[in-house]
Amino acid sequence: MNFTQLAGHEFVLHPSGAAYWPAYNMLLVADVHLGKVAHFRKAGMAVPQASVMGNFRKLDAVVSFFEPGVICFLGDLFHSDLNREWELFESWIAGMQAQVILVAGNHDIIDRMGFLALQIEVVSALVVDGIWLTHQPDIYRHHANICGHVHPCVSIRGMGRQRLKLPCFFKSDSQLIMPAFGTFTGMYELFPTGTDEVFVVAEDEVIRVS
Amino acid sequence: MNRQELFLHADRWFENQRWKPFSFQKETWTAFLQGKNGLLNAPTGSGKTYALWIPIVLDYMQQTKNYTKPASGLQAIWITPLRALSVEIKQAAERVLQDWDVGLTVGIRSGDTSAAERARQRDKVPNLLITTPESLQLLLATKGYDKIFKNCRAIVVDEWHELLGTKRGVQMELGLSRLKSLSPGLRIWGISATIGNLEQAMQVLLGPDSQAYNNAKLIRANIDKKIRVNSILPEKMDAYPWRGHMGLHLLDEVIPIIRKSKTTLIFTNVRSACEIWFQRLLEKYPELAGDMAMHHGSISKETRLWVEDAIRREELKVVVCTSSLDLGVDFAPVESIIQIGGPKGVARFLQRAGRSGHQPGKESVIYFLATHAIELIEASALKKAAKQNVVEDRTPYLNAWDVLVQYLNTLAVSDGFRPDEIFREVRQTFCYQAMTDEEWNWILNFISRGSQSLQAYDEYKKVEVDDGVYKITDRRTAMHHRMQIGTIVGDATMKVKYVSGGYLGTIEEFFVSRLQPGDVFVFAGRKLELHRIKNMEVLVRAASNSKVNLHASWMGGRLALSAQMSELLREELYMADNIASPEMQALRPVFSRQRKESIVPDAGQFLIETFKTREGFHAIFYPFEGRFVHEAMASLLALRISLLKPITFSLAYNDYGFELLSDQEIDMQSVLDNNLFTTQDVHADLQRSLNSTEMARRKFRDIAVISGLVFTGYPGKVIKSKHLQGSSQLLFEVFREYEPDNLLFLQAYREVFEHQLEEGRLIMALERIAGQEIVWKQTQKPTPFSFPIITDRLREKLSSEKLSDRIARMTASYLKS
Repeated sequence: MNFTQLAGHEFVLHPSGAAYWPAYNMLLVADVHLGKVAHFRKAGMAVPQASVMGNFRKLDAVVSFFEPGVICFLGDLFHSDLNREWELFESWIAGMQAQVILVAGNHDIIDRMGFLALQIEVVSALVVDGIWLTHQPDIYRHHANICGHVHPCVSIRGMGRQRLKLPCFFKSDSQLIMPAFGTFTGMYELFPTGTDEVFVVAEDEVIRVS
Repeated sequence: MNRQELFLHADRWFENQRWKPFSFQKETWTAFLQGKNGLLNAPTGSGKTYALWIPIVLDYMQQTKNYTKPASGLQAIWITPLRALSVEIKQAAERVLQDWDVGLTVGIRSGDTSAAERARQRDKVPNLLITTPESLQLLLATKGYDKIFKNCRAIVVDEWHELLGTKRGVQMELGLSRLKSLSPGLRIWGISATIGNLEQAMQVLLGPDSQAYNNAKLIRANIDKKIRVNSILPEKMDAYPWRGHMGLHLLDEVIPIIRKSKTTLIFTNVRSACEIWFQRLLEKYPELAGDMAMHHGSISKETRLWVEDAIRREELKVVVCTSSLDLGVDFAPVESIIQIGGPKGVARFLQRAGRSGHQPGKESVIYFLATHAIELIEASALKKAAKQNVVEDRTPYLNAWDVLVQYLNTLAVSDGFRPDEIFREVRQTFCYQAMTDEEWNWILNFISRGSQSLQAYDEYKKVEVDDGVYKITDRRTAMHHRMQIGTIVGDATMKVKYVSGGYLGTIEEFFVSRLQPGDVFVFAGRKLELHRIKNMEVLVRAASNSKVNLHASWMGGRLALSAQMSELLREELYMADNIASPEMQALRPVFSRQRKESIVPDAGQFLIETFKTREGFHAIFYPFEGRFVHEAMASLLALRISLLKPITFSLAYNDYGFELLSDQEIDMQSVLDNNLFTTQDVHADLQRSLNSTEMARRKFRDIAVISGLVFTGYPGKVIKSKHLQGSSQLLFEVFREYEPDNLLFLQAYREVFEHQLEEGRLIMALERIAGQEIVWKQTQKPTPFSFPIITDRLREKLSSEKLSDRIARMTASYLKS
């Protein structure tokens, strides 16, 4: 685990790719992409069925670690059209004590009513104590922003022609971009400059590299 | 007509052409008309096409009373691995048909065939069909395909040696297994250049223990071809580069050869070298402008066909080309061949040499241009190879599950299949002869249920089982599958077009991604300025006389020295001081430089060099066993060292040796003391090293595409190859975690063993090293031998360190760009 400051608030960065906001007892999770496995299988691509459970196991682990009062998904919670993974999500939500909020993303095309029926609040952006929580990166006036969507990673290089590409939390002066939480997702490379802080997710640690 | 009369007919025709049939041709005619299957071993330009077209037509004349009348239905199929060859084959057939007034039609069906032409062929299939392995599979994916093949009497697989040992070959085996059942009167013939395992090649074609194989004949043309190898050497030897510079320093030496020959073909190993050579020749010798052309696989089809025609019409003085001109095409005017850089395999080299001096009895001359010093040893070895007629084997695939999955989906797309019937056919092929019932059931379960047991919430959908028939009914799934048929997986390509219109060819996306609008690059021999990229098309303008930023480049696989070639090479090197060949003379300055700090090993020595540079600590080993063995040995050694203490390696290899590079110094004394070159536990250690390197993951990429686990997208639609790569890599991880017994996942590991690492050769090499004295030289600087290896950028990595420990040391430097 590691820590960073944004707009005067402290955030805990967890190796699962989630971030925790102690001041509001809030867990932030971006780009889970549930339903992706089922979506592939429906199209005749035999991704192992068992991998569906991976995301839920990971969610359970991080939720029981922080025991948050609020879980805020920063978009792309569901990957595609309604499929049977929704049923698994329903039963996961049923066992959840915390309040759940979804900041809708470009993949969240499932009917809002579906989420509302599960008592999940769906918003297009959320402002908490001056910090904008969105799916896509969005700098609104002078507000700080926490977002997902990008699936950031960085390459680092060392002696002996060593090179690693790792998912990361990418923090600039007024923005924190979260890594994708989902187990079956890709990455997009970012290049830090100046005062950017980069925290790579390496197995069970979060390490600051810049 | 009886056979005697038929032969007379054919003989007379040959006489009219002022030809004399070779005995291998007559032998083939006889065997074919006797109803036999077989394999014809004959080189290009020997008349092999007529060896089989003639009996096919004679057989038809014998079977058909009014053979001058138009016929209906498919009579014979000619499979060619290269589309470029089909025109030639068609002309040969038409010549016979016309002269003999036989009412058969000839048609070509390949990826280049227009949709309208395909539609016409659907209504009225050509009697003689020339096609590719992929297009044959596509025919099997059409509804009612059994009727198309019902009366087919012959199938010829041309250039079988090119297909053998590839997944296209497996695809062919499967296609043939189906045709055998569909066309009762079918004769199967292969045509192959000389390879080491010809008898096995025939077995793979016909199926081991099959009826077809028991009624087959292997016919050898025995055309002795004299080949002379000349090296192109510079006047002054001192300045020979240590690492390849494309051989451009010898550009001027090539000119006299071009001048004195009618037509010269210059072969380069990769397309980018082809582009650069063409450009430099043009810059330095502008008078060649009208007489020079370029030919490689990414240039538009029209241009390629034009070049091929122009060679035949003797309009070109010189053509810079790649393996795209390797096969089949018969170019009489070609007098000289120049090979730039090591050809890596003897067979390939000899085949290229055979492009010149086509007339029987005439000597073929090939000039070898070494691009760097060490390659001169290769030249010397190739001379020997040409003299001794050394040829390699092609190792056929076994249990290629990805191809089987694709094939079953193909059958499911058309009329559906019954497992029992298809199982019997598939088991008769060479590739799947050892397939167990469990494996077959796994495959069936994979295509119908996505390798799961039936679960309530699973929505997997591909092949459905209806009354015992396996079928794909969903139209979209069927269309996806048809688009993905094939076993050649390449990087995504983009079309290069002028802004004003006009198609130039295709280029790999990875190259385009490095360009900015306004950048100037060389492609298809032209200087082009990037205008913009739109819808998978690269729009360009002719560049004014500005500076060139980049030459187009393609990833392409790297070739590795064959076992035979490496052995010759070692022999040459070990006797370096006693050989008086001009190549070895030319190497003297490099050798004396090498000896300043290190040695040139002899047969009793195994050389290891260590030194430090800004990059880190280098350890170079020189087994001279060829790239694949070095790849295996590097992984093995890196793994064994990494077990002594946590360490991270970057591995590089070429045909002469390999490098272990690390940010920590390797304790070489402990490597030697612990006897890390032992043959003990090689298999287990290699297996472990595979888990720490990327090799299996890379193999899996192709497997995932071929078996349809990932979808490569609609033609022309933007789905980046990064996406494909990404998802096949993700899949690999997901399988590793959740379904490690998946046969396709395991196949990736098996392929590394069977087709890349060459474990058998590795063990022999280790045994050889055990008998050598190990000479460890700690040098101050890189030596000439080490230079080409340490500057190689294609690398593998292996680590036994904790990720966080590595990151801690790496944070300092960032990757810019």
